[in-house]
Amino acid sequence: MRTFVKFVLLAEAFAVATYGLGWWIVPVIALVWGLLARGAGKARFAALAATTGWATLLLLDVSRGPVSVMATQLGAVMNVPSFVLYILTLIFPGLLAFCTTTLVPTVRKTATA
Amino acid sequence: MTKKVAAAVVLAALLFVGFHSVGPVPPMGSFLDPANGVWGSAAATNFPVIQDVALAGLQSPVKVLIDDRGVPHVFASSEDDAYRALGYVEARDRLFQMETQTRAAAGRLSEWAGPKLLETDRESRSLGLVWGAEKKFASYDKSSPAFKAMLAYADGVNWYIDHMKARDLPVEYRLLNARPIKWEPIYSLYFLSRMSLTLGFNDATLRRLKTQALVGKAAADALFPVNSPIQQPIQPNGSSQPTYNFTAVPDPGPPDSTVLAVAHIDQALANAIAFRKPTETADAIGSNNWAVSPKRTAAGHALLAGDPHLDLSLPSVWYEMHIVIPGKLDVAGVGFPGVPGVVIGFNRDVAWTFTNTGSDVNDYYQETVDNEANPSHYRLDGQWKPIEKRIEKYLDKNGTIIATDTLLFSHRGPMHRDFGHWLSMRWTVYDKSHEPDNFMKLGYAKNAGEWLDDMRDYVVPTQNGLVADRSGNIAIRSSGKFPLRPGDGRGDVIRDGSTSANDWTGQLPVEKYPFSLNPPQGFLASANQQPVDAAVNNAYMGSDWYSPWRAMRINALLRADSAVTPDDMRKFQTDPGSARAELFVPYFLAAAARVDSGGHANAELATAAALLAKWDRRYVRDDKGAVLFEAAMSELATRTWDELRDPRKKPGDADRLNYPEAQILVELMQTPKSVWWDDRSTPQHEDMDDILTSSLTAGYAGLLASKGAPEGDGWLWSKTRRANIYHLLRIPAFSALDISVQGGPSTLSPSSGAGTQGPSWRMVVELGTEVRAWATYPGGQSGAPSSSRYKDRIPSWTNGKLDQILFPRTPADLNRNRIVSSLTLTPR
Repeated sequence: MRTFVKFVLLAEAFAVATYGLGWWIVPVIALVWGLLARGAGKARFAALAATTGWATLLLLDVSRGPVSVMATQLGAVMNVPSFVLYILTLIFPGLLAFCTTTLVPTVRKTATA
Repeated sequence: MTKKVAAAVVLAALLFVGFHSVGPVPPMGSFLDPANGVWGSAAATNFPVIQDVALAGLQSPVKVLIDDRGVPHVFASSEDDAYRALGYVEARDRLFQMETQTRAAAGRLSEWAGPKLLETDRESRSLGLVWGAEKKFASYDKSSPAFKAMLAYADGVNWYIDHMKARDLPVEYRLLNARPIKWEPIYSLYFLSRMSLTLGFNDATLRRLKTQALVGKAAADALFPVNSPIQQPIQPNGSSQPTYNFTAVPDPGPPDSTVLAVAHIDQALANAIAFRKPTETADAIGSNNWAVSPKRTAAGHALLAGDPHLDLSLPSVWYEMHIVIPGKLDVAGVGFPGVPGVVIGFNRDVAWTFTNTGSDVNDYYQETVDNEANPSHYRLDGQWKPIEKRIEKYLDKNGTIIATDTLLFSHRGPMHRDFGHWLSMRWTVYDKSHEPDNFMKLGYAKNAGEWLDDMRDYVVPTQNGLVADRSGNIAIRSSGKFPLRPGDGRGDVIRDGSTSANDWTGQLPVEKYPFSLNPPQGFLASANQQPVDAAVNNAYMGSDWYSPWRAMRINALLRADSAVTPDDMRKFQTDPGSARAELFVPYFLAAAARVDSGGHANAELATAAALLAKWDRRYVRDDKGAVLFEAAMSELATRTWDELRDPRKKPGDADRLNYPEAQILVELMQTPKSVWWDDRSTPQHEDMDDILTSSLTAGYAGLLASKGAPEGDGWLWSKTRRANIYHLLRIPAFSALDISVQGGPSTLSPSSGAGTQGPSWRMVVELGTEVRAWATYPGGQSGAPSSSRYKDRIPSWTNGKLDQILFPRTPADLNRNRIVSSLTLTPR
């Protein structure tokens, strides 16, 4: 239960911060998470939370406007199927968070040294 | 360790593509961001049901109700507030389009696209549009309503730009990785200058001179005449039918080497305008308008139809609006995004619309300069006058200067050099005129007389302004500046620039403009034809007029209907009949019959003639005869005018073919043995019948080869002519392409091969006790490609349907079920 709450809070942090500040906040939050969190698997945890946060925002967009039309049009512009854009949108924050959190021990070690 | 290195590399790569564009791909971070990126843009296309916005500069609150057609009804208490609000609303709907149009007019597209659009920018600036707009803007009376409106409008646009959320950024900016520029009031004038290039640039001089170089002056004068041989003028000439004033077309003479150089001297200029030249032939473009007096309408109210044709684009060139200032102004219709106010529309008393007059308002002068390679002075009346120089810098996306040009101007206008000569161009677009004042005043007119007064000092582009009022008056006047020239008054020549005696001497007085008020025939119509019969008024206004096929058709329809209804007016707008086909088909059939009776017919000709005879001469989608007729007409022009093929041009060059209007072919048909009929590529001597029948046969054979047997679907008109409405960036996914439409060359709703021109706004207004209006256009109110309002009107446009325009007097009068969004703008 505690893990679930942590996950929801982290995902919400990614979503709210992205909404307020922009996409670049994702690695910043992941960095902070990496510094605060303990135990194994925290990179995967952060990646999933970031993806979930952005998925939530994407769902909000879908409920508000013609996102699928936009996806179809942009897919045609970029010469890729529209679902690729959705996947990219979800993978992008996940990878950012995963890579950042993975590098946290190195960052910590460098800072300590 | 490997894992960490990989993570570092991937993170670096992600951050790089997140912040930077890679090739054509925009920065992925801000692009994919679901809150502030492209997905947010999609969500932002639906306006909130209720929204309150503080807007600096307002004196009082403004209520803007968006109806279910996407039309803003702006209720304000002053003009200043209304146009400030309009700027905000138009920017919200059409920001990218407004900036694109501005950049196109100002020659600043390379700041988006880099060097690949540099030449387009150079050409645009070399025409002096910005130079002219700056002169106009500087000459404005700062207290004039239109000037104040442009300022207020700009404030509204900029307020929107400054306060819009990241998610509101139009998708095109994201793809270009660009941000909107600050809107300057002069941009409204840039757009109007650009529109004047589209509508007010007359190339008859060049066409005639090029022809003169090939076949001599006498023939060129006949092929590109000052007066149309078929007259169905805008100002009724007393004849209930078209009149035919045919004269013999002189035989082709020897090439005129004296004009050969000068005919090509302006190649740079020709190149400069080539990028905006329609890809259509004259028979495939053009606007219509007509009005009917109460005595010829079913309900006893005046009716007016507006049908301006322009390049089709998404978003549409027009934006529909309704502006109410209680007790002062209540006007609805369409205007240009970027220019405050209604251009075509109606108020509670008057309705109006325009077609292009197409008069000759630009002239060329051959200048004598002090230094051919690097001139600083030009000769005028025996003295050296300094040349005005203007440095133009072209920037790329990063703000780096990628090119610099020095533009030269005489007192007449921009100078161009080619083939060792210098030409300057005088054009009414460069005059210190104030067209926004004219357009703005129209909404206040109480009757046709006031409306005509408001257009008295209108300058450019010359327009056939049609007006009807609730008292039953209908009137039309070709308005704008018609320059007066010295000597024979002709403008389709290149004059000696070394003397001011060759300059314009003034302008035609308004009383001499083509005009009609409440004519006995009970209707008025214009379709870009010669506006007035030379027998009535022989003032030079232009030459090489469009053939009057559309004018003949609408006049025939109006003559035949003495109880016109608004629905009749609507149907006329997409009428598939063609005066051109009615005139030419009998010639083809008669020629085929004569050849047959002479024993020279072949099976192919007989079959083609039989198919053409069966055709009802209507361009409807399921028709199969139109395609044969058009193929034959194309062959006919090619075979007849072989003398006009420029031998120095390669096949496929756009300016290789310089054919006269189709009405000249009809004139030539009065001389069946003219040497013009001879096909110089064959050893025998052909006459008219030979060319008509060989054209019909060749057209038929070509269709068999390309489309199969006539029984198949390949011959369907719907498969031949389609409308193609491109997005401003020509992105297919944002465009509406390959749309089946009714109509063909020279019908009231002409369509053509490329399908990129067409009816840009169709409107019918009934001036009854309460004004009622119906309209549509090929697009939608929103400029956002993913919006449901981006191209929602295309189905009605395609099918010739019109939507009723809502015209509430107060916010409370607007049916609540029709309101999709309510915006309250309050002073800050």
